[in-house]
Amino acid sequence: MDSSNDEALDIIVTNVVATFRTRCHLNLRTIALEGTNVIYKPEVGKVLMKLRKPMITASIWSSGKIICTGATSEDEAKLGARRLARCLQKLGFKVRFSAFKVVNVLAVCSMPFAVHLIDFTKNNRPIASYEPELHPAATYRIKNLKATIQVFSTGSLTVTGPNVQNVATAVEQVYPLLFECQKPLCK
Amino acid sequence: MSFRVCRTCGGADIDVDQARGSAVCTGCGSVLEDNIIVSEVQFVEGSGGVSSAVGQFVSADGPVKAPLLGSGFHTSVGKESRAQTLQSGKRQIQQLGSQLQLNQHCLDTAFNFFKMVVSKHLTRGRKTEHVIAACLYLVCRTEGTPHMLLDLSDLLQVNVYILGKTFLLLARELCINAPAIDPCLYIPRFAHMLEFGVKTHEVSMTALRLVQRMKRDWMHTGRRPSGLCGAALLVAARMHKFRRTVKDVISVVKVCQTTLRKRLTEFEDTPTSQLTIDEFMRVDLEQECDPPSFIAAQNKAKMQQLEQELARKLDEVEGEISCYKDEIETELEKSRPKLRGIYAAYTKEIGEYRSNVCPSPQKLSREVEDAELQAATQHLTQDFLCQVIQEEEEEGRANKTGDGEQEVGPEKEGVGPQRQVAPLAVILGKLPSSLDLQQTFQTFICCCSTDEDSESGELDLEGIDDQEIEKYILNDNEVQVKTELWMKQNAEYLKEQQEKEERIRKEKEQGTYKEKKKKKSKRKEQIEALTAGEAIEKMLEKKKISSKINYDVLRDLNSRGTGSGGGSSPSRASSDPPDPNNTNTTTRKRLNRRRRKKTSEANQDLVTNASIMGKRFRRLISSTSKKKKTAPQVSNHSTCPHLSPPDSTCFHLPLPDST
Repeated sequence: MDSSNDEALDIIVTNVVATFRTRCHLNLRTIALEGTNVIYKPEVGKVLMKLRKPMITASIWSSGKIICTGATSEDEAKLGARRLARCLQKLGFKVRFSAFKVVNVLAVCSMPFAVHLIDFTKNNRPIASYEPELHPAATYRIKNLKATIQVFSTGSLTVTGPNVQNVATAVEQVYPLLFECQKPLCK
Repeated sequence: MSFRVCRTCGGADIDVDQARGSAVCTGCGSVLEDNIIVSEVQFVEGSGGVSSAVGQFVSADGPVKAPLLGSGFHTSVGKESRAQTLQSGKRQIQQLGSQLQLNQHCLDTAFNFFKMVVSKHLTRGRKTEHVIAACLYLVCRTEGTPHMLLDLSDLLQVNVYILGKTFLLLARELCINAPAIDPCLYIPRFAHMLEFGVKTHEVSMTALRLVQRMKRDWMHTGRRPSGLCGAALLVAARMHKFRRTVKDVISVVKVCQTTLRKRLTEFEDTPTSQLTIDEFMRVDLEQECDPPSFIAAQNKAKMQQLEQELARKLDEVEGEISCYKDEIETELEKSRPKLRGIYAAYTKEIGEYRSNVCPSPQKLSREVEDAELQAATQHLTQDFLCQVIQEEEEEGRANKTGDGEQEVGPEKEGVGPQRQVAPLAVILGKLPSSLDLQQTFQTFICCCSTDEDSESGELDLEGIDDQEIEKYILNDNEVQVKTELWMKQNAEYLKEQQEKEERIRKEKEQGTYKEKKKKKSKRKEQIEALTAGEAIEKMLEKKKISSKINYDVLRDLNSRGTGSGGGSSPSRASSDPPDPNNTNTTTRKRLNRRRRKKTSEANQDLVTNASIMGKRFRRLISSTSKKKKTAPQVSNHSTCPHLSPPDSTCFHLPLPDST
């Protein structure tokens, strides 16, 4: 997919966030007392449950909505979510697995060149913004893809988007812009 | 100015004296006008010696009603909400801006931004403080004043990142492109604060040159400009023989010591640092450097490469050395006189002892390693992992022979297996994360096809190992223990919950249970009523009571009209404890004492009055109701005496129009 340049750019997906619903009310106290690897936060009203096999952390609310984070790919997230639902089923709740949706995907990527952030921001004025007082990276938001790319001066990128395909497209889109403002290495 | 003619003499020459405010005819001397209203601008001295003009700006698009002259109501009743927001915003901008010493032009621009923001409804859900700070900072950036976001957050005691978030949002929504911060802007300000006396200007110039050099050397991207300025100023001060310590500089510049030191070290790495002071002032080096983080990353990459090369070389060398070692040993064995009998046993021991002493630990550990590795390979059944382990094995061995090479110096057995375990974990960790994207797409597409089950809500048990999941659930004993622990840990919270429940129960019994409904969105229910009277009653109950209705009049209407309400209302007034019948306390809570007296019964009286007295009711509900108050009273008074004295020929009572 990223064949816009000669060498392939490695886009490494580091985090996938997904949500799903169990369509039934969950008693958080039961989960907290009968499950391993759980942290109960009664003030907030949720239970954190951590699974080992796909290394994921799930936030479980009593309404039956569950947010699953920490997976490294979309199908891993789905697998983890299903595992979790199975676990809750075993605890005695009438769990149904519905409305599974991947909400956010975080990926990192590295350009083989450094980027001049100020030029990059000037060329892409309203879409890109750079506040060195607040954050060392320039933020580039692509509206139609709903993706956000953070560009660091070393050339590494952090991309967040609703799914993996968007992330790849976003990187492709931004690559030529970065290429223009690159800083050639002298040493 | 003489557009008038004198009345007495007809002369057109009239002298208008602005100071006295009088117009005098120069011909006959008669005063034509006195106390002329002067339309000149007056000035008043404000705080700090600033003189400002007296007067108010009236905007063209402001409220239509003229501001009340003289004493209006104490709170600005006549203004609309939007005008109030803008007014309070302007006040806050002035306040904050004067603390930052911004000139009036900047404050006006900030107010314009604020107006734009309000018209776009961006103030909703945000503290006005934050919005105003963001507007001011926007102005600072567009004008290029040396104010940092940190200053604003200092004044307001708000987290700088929160302000930054608001600022970014406003800049985006208003499509204002704030130019990037140039560290050169801050230098004069910081130099002034560091008190260099007469030489402030020179030091600033030197510091500016340094900053420009840093920019060319790529030290400024991604860094706080204040940190760079700090480093530049420190060096410049030392160059001009001023003793400014790091602590002085950081108190002015607001970065921490570590940052400053780091910037100085980075600058040290650039070739410019090698120049002398004079050279630096004269010459500007052509060469540009790479950004420091880039250099660091490159160094790391180089180190890794070196390690790999060395490992490879060691492999080869190791191979040779082991060959030689074997050959030497075999030769030695041959040349050594072989002891027989009991001495053979001793040689074995000695042999072992010798091997223990010299390259020994490797042999022993190698044996141990082998055993461990075999066990490890048994666990791991995948082929290519085996290969990797073998490679690591060799590397491990190679590293061990190397004297003082890299990390694995001391040949302890503990280190050996650990080092084996660590790379394995690293391998296992790396594999799943660096998936090829095509692979993920394929798998995702496969996943998509099995999406139908999600609609039905059935749980697809494919690929889930039940046994594993069982591990996640504790058995009974564990549950008990955990319950106890949890109860102990969260005892406070549980106590609070219990108290709350008891309180609610008590109140329910007493009947004073104020059901604090969690704020649901107020849906405007359709008022269903059979008669107009009922509708009005319900409307009055629901709507917030307006300040424009004169309740005394309404109550009096009621009392005069029916004759019973008057008696009932004062009695009700005396008894103030909460009424059990009173179901509308929630909506009345905010009203003042006077209005609380009005219960639903009073409403009904009002309503009957309203329906009876059609027009009159409407006339009464107006701000000028006080005047009309006398009218019904008079009419009522007039009706009564009219009945009693029959001989009222000379008695003309003014009967107002009572239609």
